Amino acid sequence: MIKEARKRSKAEILKVLDPTVKEWFFSCFKDFSLPQLYGVMPIHERKNILISAPTGGTKTLTAFLSILNYLVKLAKEKKLEDKVYCIYVSPLRALSNDIHVNLERPLAEIEEIARKKGVKMQKIRVMVRTGDTLSKEKARMLKKPPHILITTPETLGIVLSSKRFIEKLKAVEFVIVDEIHALACNKRGVHLSLSLERLEEISSISPVRIGLSATIAPLDEVAKFLVGYEKKNSKWEERSCLIADVRFAKKMDLKVLCPVPNLIDTTAKEMQENLYSLLDRLIQTHKTTLIFTNTRSGTERVINHLKEMFPHHYARLEESIGAHHSSLSRSLRLRIEQKLREGKLKAVVSSTSLELGIDIGYIDLVVLLGSPKSVARLLQRQGRSGHRLHETSKGRLIVLDRDDLVECAVMLKEAIEKRIDKVQIPKNCLDVLAQHIYGMAIQKKWKIDELYDVIRRSYCYNTLSREDFLSVISYLSAQYPGLEEKKVFAKIWYDPETREIGRRSKLARMIYMTNIGTIPEESYVNVIIALPYERKNEKIGMIDEAFLERLHKGDVFVLGGNKYEFLYARGMNAYVNASVKKPPTIPSWFSEMLPLSFDLALSIQHFRKLVFELFRKRKSEKEIKNFISKYLYVDRNSVNAIYQYFYEQFYYTNGKVPDENCIVIEKYIEGEKIYYIFHSLYGRRVNDALSRAIAYLLARHYRKDVEVSINDNGFFIASYRKLNVEKAIKWLSQNHNQLRNVLEEAIEKTEVFRRRFRHCATRALMILRSYKGKSKTVGRQQLKADFLLGAVKKISSEFPILKETKREILEDLMDVENAEKVLKWIKEGKIKIEIIATELPSPFALNLVTQGYADLMKIENKIEFLRRMHQKILKKIKS
Amino acid sequence: MQILPGIVIVGKALWIKKLKILVVADLHIGYEEALAEEGYLLPRTMFKEMSKELKELLEKLKPNLVVINGDLKHEFGQISKQEWFETNTILDMILERSKVVLIKGNHDTILEPIARRKNLEIKDFYIVDGICILHGHKIFIDKEIYDKKIKILIIGHEHPAISIREGLRKETYKCFLLGRWKDKKLIVMPSFFTLYEGSDIKKEELLSPYLNEKSIKNFEVFVVADKIYRFGKVKDIR
Repeated sequence: MIKEARKRSKAEILKVLDPTVKEWFFSCFKDFSLPQLYGVMPIHERKNILISAPTGGTKTLTAFLSILNYLVKLAKEKKLEDKVYCIYVSPLRALSNDIHVNLERPLAEIEEIARKKGVKMQKIRVMVRTGDTLSKEKARMLKKPPHILITTPETLGIVLSSKRFIEKLKAVEFVIVDEIHALACNKRGVHLSLSLERLEEISSISPVRIGLSATIAPLDEVAKFLVGYEKKNSKWEERSCLIADVRFAKKMDLKVLCPVPNLIDTTAKEMQENLYSLLDRLIQTHKTTLIFTNTRSGTERVINHLKEMFPHHYARLEESIGAHHSSLSRSLRLRIEQKLREGKLKAVVSSTSLELGIDIGYIDLVVLLGSPKSVARLLQRQGRSGHRLHETSKGRLIVLDRDDLVECAVMLKEAIEKRIDKVQIPKNCLDVLAQHIYGMAIQKKWKIDELYDVIRRSYCYNTLSREDFLSVISYLSAQYPGLEEKKVFAKIWYDPETREIGRRSKLARMIYMTNIGTIPEESYVNVIIALPYERKNEKIGMIDEAFLERLHKGDVFVLGGNKYEFLYARGMNAYVNASVKKPPTIPSWFSEMLPLSFDLALSIQHFRKLVFELFRKRKSEKEIKNFISKYLYVDRNSVNAIYQYFYEQFYYTNGKVPDENCIVIEKYIEGEKIYYIFHSLYGRRVNDALSRAIAYLLARHYRKDVEVSINDNGFFIASYRKLNVEKAIKWLSQNHNQLRNVLEEAIEKTEVFRRRFRHCATRALMILRSYKGKSKTVGRQQLKADFLLGAVKKISSEFPILKETKREILEDLMDVENAEKVLKWIKEGKIKIEIIATELPSPFALNLVTQGYADLMKIENKIEFLRRMHQKILKKIKS
Repeated sequence: MQILPGIVIVGKALWIKKLKILVVADLHIGYEEALAEEGYLLPRTMFKEMSKELKELLEKLKPNLVVINGDLKHEFGQISKQEWFETNTILDMILERSKVVLIKGNHDTILEPIARRKNLEIKDFYIVDGICILHGHKIFIDKEIYDKKIKILIIGHEHPAISIREGLRKETYKCFLLGRWKDKKLIVMPSFFTLYEGSDIKKEELLSPYLNEKSIKNFEVFVVADKIYRFGKVKDIR
């Protein structure tokens, strides 16, 4: 059962604390923090608990306090055994500093206090084990096992299949999972959830599970993810877990800021000047500012502009501003982190990399340039400011266009009113399952029914069907046709008579250890000219693989200031046409863009409906503005801008506007091309699914390719002929349970399918990245993966790796579940479809139609363009 | 379908009618195993599929002679047990029904022992009735293939395939190519192996020295599918 933890009194905690630990604690802290009041006692009482609190909320120490207390008591009584008492798992690889602060230093200080008092105690050992740990250290660990083992999810998986170290894990008493919010939503988390069950299975006692999370929702699902299920009287029940919800313990000071009074009637120059002046003002009036830009290129741009415009603040010899993003080398990032901790930087600009709880010292202001796309992410980011829990965390959302403004304003309302969008936890991933079953078979012989039960204890596999489970066993034991040669293909043996599985060869462990993991190797793709003939084979530059995934044939993108049309990819080369007249269709940072959360999208739709209702009722400008300012927590400028934006849309389309109950399809003709713009504000993951399905149906019907472009607020389908788009979406809504099938067909021949298949085949160990002492480049892997894909398709369309590839694309990359929901709402009449024709794209459509231009035109041009369009629209409304 | 007078395309093979000669190229036996060595654990489907297809051809046509136009097996390095077995089995199956000539391909550097055991000669090329059959990976200097009497060259090596698009759909097919090399007609055969279609002649770099970027445009394409389809010239296919 999942229950809320209750706040305990200070006295209760004091009663259980060892005197030395107590003395140490109060030599460092004045009092217990809120998470400690909630968390310390349940852990002492050996109860599973999920603690969700903002960063700086002393979460890590909350988790460790009871454990340290217990170990110190044992150490004093000389009862410490040579075994691992506690495993701490974190997704961060560079753990050392955090662990030093939260574990090594406290321990040293406690030992020092004990020594001064003449109290003798055994040494409590803490050791870090990751992929980088040397075998010398591993050997030492085996001899003298750490009492507290610090590790990553991947290394935990390896340790669980080790021959000897596993002996030290047979009576683990505590497991701490840190940064659970960064794990629950991806395959690393899925992998960990099975590792936890494997640990449970080998352990003679059930380890207490402690989850630490920044702001996330829904907490009860995340708690279930942490603790898993148990079979009781042949029925599955979730294990019990307490939830300490201190998400809103920190006071928040959150605001949306427009750099200019009017977001549309401002020249680009004014916009730029105002934006950077505002940024500079914010930085200069605070001690240390953390700025999030969403994209890596944005990070660099902001720093350059600040240095150029305010050299006396940022461009001196001793730099006071730095960048931190995933493309920078690790040593560069570590240097920035170190400077931050030493208080030497005024500001740091990050894409997303500083979202996680890396210790960066004192931050008193977080600035978000552009929407963070989900309430949870907003709270996670702004929670990085304000060091202590009792301090106020300060966040500023700076918006640059009108869609951004509406989105951020509604997001702010949700954050203040404590409604957090739900995270989706992947389920039944067959590639990760294959990896684990292999590892489990290496560890020991299993009855398959017993194995199936252990797997189903994981939250991520509780609903795993027997068929899927057996198909993975068949794959691993090489039961499929074409896999007969066991020596090569069989990773495990399966005996159908005894119904047992086990490891096949001594090499198995080696292969497992060198190939385990869930993070795909991504890399860069060369862009090479195929046309025109004179420039053939000229190499222009690189794009990242994730961006290649998003490219459709015919898409035009910008690289190094020039336009290229994507033709096809082979291996790690993308071939393009360099002589292209069409405007760009996709911005080059597209793959980095975070998707808008579905829940937040619905809240924006709801807001649209409330405002448009007032327009329909012919309410006065003042009344509507009053409503907006009461409903949202924004200043007058923003209210005016939102009002103006909605006003224009409403009157430009004669009141046929998109909202919660209506998807507007706007038909607009430019030259010879017809655009069908779907105002479907459901976030890009849902729009990806809807647009691909519709485009596929249309292309099949008309036997002609159509052009597709998506963003969070909608998508368009364009063609040189008239298309019956209404019929396509109606058919889909009537047959919404067919959506998965349509999408499975639609993605089969795409670039994204080939790439994701490679990832899945690598995770399922059908491609061994490292084999016979050699590792291979991603490019070679991709080419051979294509052969593998062809061969696997011949075996069975239900082959587990194929099935998982489809699942991953439909459920993790796209959001097929919510797309189905939208279609169902259309069928039920909850959402109606309205078709309109416009001469120019309506105000709400402008960002979608112009998104590809963003790269090519400097920011001033994009705004000039918007303004020109806007003027035309205003003229039309007036006439 | 007849590709040139007296020369007929049957599936992925060529049939020289008058002399009852069957030509196949690029079987690449052991390809999957070579990939497995690198850590790509491809299921083994090729040997079964190719044996079946070959057997059907032999039984239908009853040839006097089968010319294996290079790259019977895949590996450059040592011959593995599996490769021995599969190569032997396929050769025996053919030899039970017909004579065999082996043409040397770039992968066949160590085919000798197998050939010797079966009393087969490995040739660089095989000339019959004005036709020269050769693998096509290199140009032989001062050889009789330049003789005026030879009107037709048949090569493999290139693994030609062509992609055809319709709407969002793109499919790739194995194909025969018919064009010219110097004063001779040139037929390029598709690979007989089944792992993948081959390299797309419109997009990929050409391998054979008998072909070049310019000449390929005027080659005629014969697509291999349920039957053979004439698709016109390479330059006309979009």
